[in-house]
Amino acid sequence: MHAFDYLEPVTVAEACAMLADHGPRARPLAGGTDLLIQMEMGKVRPEAVVHLGRIEALRGIEWDPQAGLRISAGVTLREVETHPIIRERYPALATAAQVVGSVQIRNLGTLVGNLCNASPSADTSPALLALDGQVEIASPTESFTIPVAEFWTGPGQMVLQPGQLVTGVRLPVPTPSLRTWYYKLAVRKAMDLAMVGVCVALEPRNGSARRVRIALGAVAPTCLRARHAEQLAEQGEITNGCLEAIAEAAVAATSPISDQRASADYRRAMVGSLTRRAFTQLLR
Amino acid sequence: MAEFAVIGKPVPRVDAVDKVTGAARYAADVNLPGQLWAGFVHSPHPHARIKRIDTSKAECIPGVVKILTQDALGAGATQETIDTVHGMRLSQSLFAVEVVRYQGEKIAAVCAISPEICKDAVEAIEVEYERLPAVDEVEQAIRPEAPVIREDAKEVEAPTGCPWANLGMFRNVCQEAHFSAGDVEAGFAEADVIVEGIYRIPRVHQTYIEPHACVARVDPSGKVTVWTSTQSIFAIRSGVASSLGIPQSNINVVGQTIGGGFGGKFGVLVHPYAVLLAQVTGRPVKIVYSREEEMLDGRPAPGAVIWVKTGIKRDGTVTARQAVGLWDCGHVPGASIYATGRIVGVYNFKNIKYDAYGIYTNKPGTSAYRAPGAPQGSYASEANLNQCAAAIGMDPIALRLQNMAQDGDQRVIDRKPLSRVAFKETLLAAAKQAGWFEREKKPNHGWGVAIGEWHHGAGPGSAVVTLMDDGTLKVFSGAMDITGTDTGMGQIAAEVVGVPWENVRVIRGDTDSAPYATGSGGSVVLFSMGNAVKRAAENLREKMLALAAQHLETTVDSLEAVRAADESGRVIPRVQRRGQPEESVTLQELAQIALRTTGGPLVGTGTFASEPSHPLISAQIVEVEVDPETGVMEIKRLVGALDVGRAINPYEVEGQMQGGATQGLSWGWMEEMQFGQGRMLNTHLSDYRIPTIQDLPAIESVYLEVPSEHGPFGVKGIGEPPIVPTPAALHLAIHDATGAWVNDLPATPERIWRALHRNRDEGKG
Ligand SMILES: Cc1cc2nc3c(=O)[nH]c(=O)nc-3n(C[C@H](O)[C@H](O)[C@H](O)COP(=O)(O)OP(=O)(O)OC[C@H]3O[C@@H](n4cnc5c(N)ncnc54)[C@H](O)[C@@H]3O)c2cc1C
Repeated sequence: MHAFDYLEPVTVAEACAMLADHGPRARPLAGGTDLLIQMEMGKVRPEAVVHLGRIEALRGIEWDPQAGLRISAGVTLREVETHPIIRERYPALATAAQVVGSVQIRNLGTLVGNLCNASPSADTSPALLALDGQVEIASPTESFTIPVAEFWTGPGQMVLQPGQLVTGVRLPVPTPSLRTWYYKLAVRKAMDLAMVGVCVALEPRNGSARRVRIALGAVAPTCLRARHAEQLAEQGEITNGCLEAIAEAAVAATSPISDQRASADYRRAMVGSLTRRAFTQLLR
Repeated sequence: MAEFAVIGKPVPRVDAVDKVTGAARYAADVNLPGQLWAGFVHSPHPHARIKRIDTSKAECIPGVVKILTQDALGAGATQETIDTVHGMRLSQSLFAVEVVRYQGEKIAAVCAISPEICKDAVEAIEVEYERLPAVDEVEQAIRPEAPVIREDAKEVEAPTGCPWANLGMFRNVCQEAHFSAGDVEAGFAEADVIVEGIYRIPRVHQTYIEPHACVARVDPSGKVTVWTSTQSIFAIRSGVASSLGIPQSNINVVGQTIGGGFGGKFGVLVHPYAVLLAQVTGRPVKIVYSREEEMLDGRPAPGAVIWVKTGIKRDGTVTARQAVGLWDCGHVPGASIYATGRIVGVYNFKNIKYDAYGIYTNKPGTSAYRAPGAPQGSYASEANLNQCAAAIGMDPIALRLQNMAQDGDQRVIDRKPLSRVAFKETLLAAAKQAGWFEREKKPNHGWGVAIGEWHHGAGPGSAVVTLMDDGTLKVFSGAMDITGTDTGMGQIAAEVVGVPWENVRVIRGDTDSAPYATGSGGSVVLFSMGNAVKRAAENLREKMLALAAQHLETTVDSLEAVRAADESGRVIPRVQRRGQPEESVTLQELAQIALRTTGGPLVGTGTFASEPSHPLISAQIVEVEVDPETGVMEIKRLVGALDVGRAINPYEVEGQMQGGATQGLSWGWMEEMQFGQGRMLNTHLSDYRIPTIQDLPAIESVYLEVPSEHGPFGVKGIGEPPIVPTPAALHLAIHDATGAWVNDLPATPERIWRALHRNRDEGKG
């Protein structure tokens, strides 16, 4: 690994200032389960690595029955996966966190790190999309939130500017009837990256569905929502024919590549199958 | 086995505590004062002409001590990798000369004061290439338009009747093997049904957990010492000697604890470079391969494409079998292509013909991997046999039993009569344990069965067993323990001499101190070294008894060794006059007496050269559940049966059966070195998949004991067979679950989905 400056801020403001100082050649470090590997492989060569582990303000999961859930940037996937509120109210997120890597990886890796690595196959990203997540961003001068759906711009790329840091993720309070489902299509049961990830959230109502979200992973340059398919699904009773159309629309939203993990054909077919399966499960 | 006190007992492994606590010292844990680190420039291209190598920038980096290229060496410097156990040999120049023939081929070596500086220097070396067309698939390499990969490649006539016959000639052939018995054409004419298929088996890496590592030091006198992870310290010694022209007697090799080898750590790979750099720099040099280097420049198992054709009658009589195997050797010969002959298997098939070819491709050379060649050849053979059973509507176990050889039958391949084989019994034992004949058909569930035969080797070696002055035993040899053999050898010595297993220490020497020992592979160790230890222990026992007879003033014949416990429950091994405990001497007393007696401490020696072994089979039954929409498969159950001759230690036997089956599952299900235009696509373990513990079922192992005449206490060599049958058992289970045959390995979810898709499109599903 190349030589770099290792910085340990204790406040968010300090971290932002350090990141601003080094501009695009600085990288925040959370659990390091992506960053260190990319550095070791020479894929990224930051001049400065800004470790976030000492920032007290970036710890913890907050739940407010009115405002919803806030997961700070320092929260590990293991904390997400085992948190009672998340398991009860956001089960798709708990499932998604639980299928990342292995326990060891999840004890180190963070939810926000998964988001900020901006990999299209990130397991928790479809869940954050389907749950209408918001990303909290701090910079030396301001802090603001944007929808998760607007966060990524391409594989490994996001809207963050030099000096900006993600401080956490917010999820709105789920309605009592909201049901969610996440399926990771992989060869192994652990330590594997998704060939396809499908997360569906909806409120079932007598064979039809409201507030439908269909979020897809590993089938386009970023995780994305199949918005046309969502609209189709909200139009009335979901018959078999209708389910077919929804699945087709979900497939149409994708632009997968063929790589060592899976072919584009297979990925497309699986988006269709898994979307059908999601609706069948959630409407049952 | 009531007749034994220590043999057959599941005693814990002697190396377990050190490994579990992290105390074991692997090669990468060795650090010497003043040590340098070496690394390599590997070719990024699979096939290219080297136009220019510029090391000037790298040389200027502070901390860089030495850079070597082939220019600095002169032409003759080649690396000889010899696997004495499997009779495999690879020869390759130390660095690429003018042309690189695989991605990963070494172009230069750098030596620096830290691994970081070394890496920077490697990156600073500029190499200009002129790219040449590359071939990564054997079916492409044999075609007339394929680039010729090496000047010595032969062009041979394509065998008739096979799917590639229309090519007329095969290009890029580097090895050939042919065999025929009986008359296949007449056999096919007699058949009711002909079943043929092409079976593609990918190249896989041995994926030992510990990449290659070594440290070399050269003393001012020129004496070389190498600390390394290897299956054979003696093969490293001869490999370094022949690669660099150093007399063997000037080299000492110290074997560290090994983190797996599976056949991939026999000969030299990084060792001559460390020695060479230590010679030129005068400082110790350390090399530790990364996983990526293992994948790009290791010596994996060859892939193969095998066509098999079988003629069979409706009553289950196999009338003829023919095969053509195309083995992916990479850029040098060396693949075990004769394993195409597995179409004979352990069956009484009369009409057989096979033609096997080693084919050059732009990939690294290959080496052994657990039963080299057998998983590939047996997969094609057994998968095809299962398809035969399906074609005539016969139970696949019944079909095998009907055709299987037994004691007294002559083997088709060499006409040798079989003895002490238990093929049918082994298969039936698996069937019984699994409940094969009572199985129920559940939706999306499938069962599969296959067998894998292996004829283990034997290798020379000797061992020394010493009665220590406290009455305990020391077993000393030069054998590397890759599978728990230290524990087994300790048990053998304890049994023979008559001491509890806790009273034996097994010590490994280096090549300077230990007598020669065969390499640890080919399932030879417990058979061969076990015999050497047994004989050494017997030799010691004779000397002990003679001394005891003298001491107790009686004859040797009237003595017996006893290991009865005293009042406190402590076992005090001793020798006594038969049935007369009051006239006895403890081993500790004997050891002390020996120290005061002419002849001195009691030392037994034993040797073993070569003795015939017996073929045996591993039979396996697997049950799977397949999600027909996604192709995702779950292994519900795996039952394995094996004839082990004698289980010295049931834990170790089960460990071998589980480990082999796991590797077989992996090869059949998810493991594959993927290539595109000569480049490997999955050089990291994230995408080079092997199963995690969560993916595995509890593996049920049953073993039979039909003792071999020559193994110690009847031992047969059993380390390799359990990997052999698994892929073919899986192939049938997938078919049973889905109706689709997935002939190309590994049967990933996508491949299963594709096969189902094809079936549906054709209206079969
Ligand atoms: C063996 C293994 C298995 C894995 N398996 C999976 C898997 O199954 N599924 C999966 O989705 N992932 C997997 N991963 C990837 C990784 O573990 C996850 O993406 C993890 O969530 C990353 O979190 P981290 O805290 O380690 O991030 P880091 O590596 O610390 O950071 C990741 C990226 O985000 C940036 N970053 C981190 N925090 C912030 C912040 N607050 N603001 C702005 N940028 C930030 C970093 O600069 C870096 O670019 C695996 C990794 C390994 C090594």
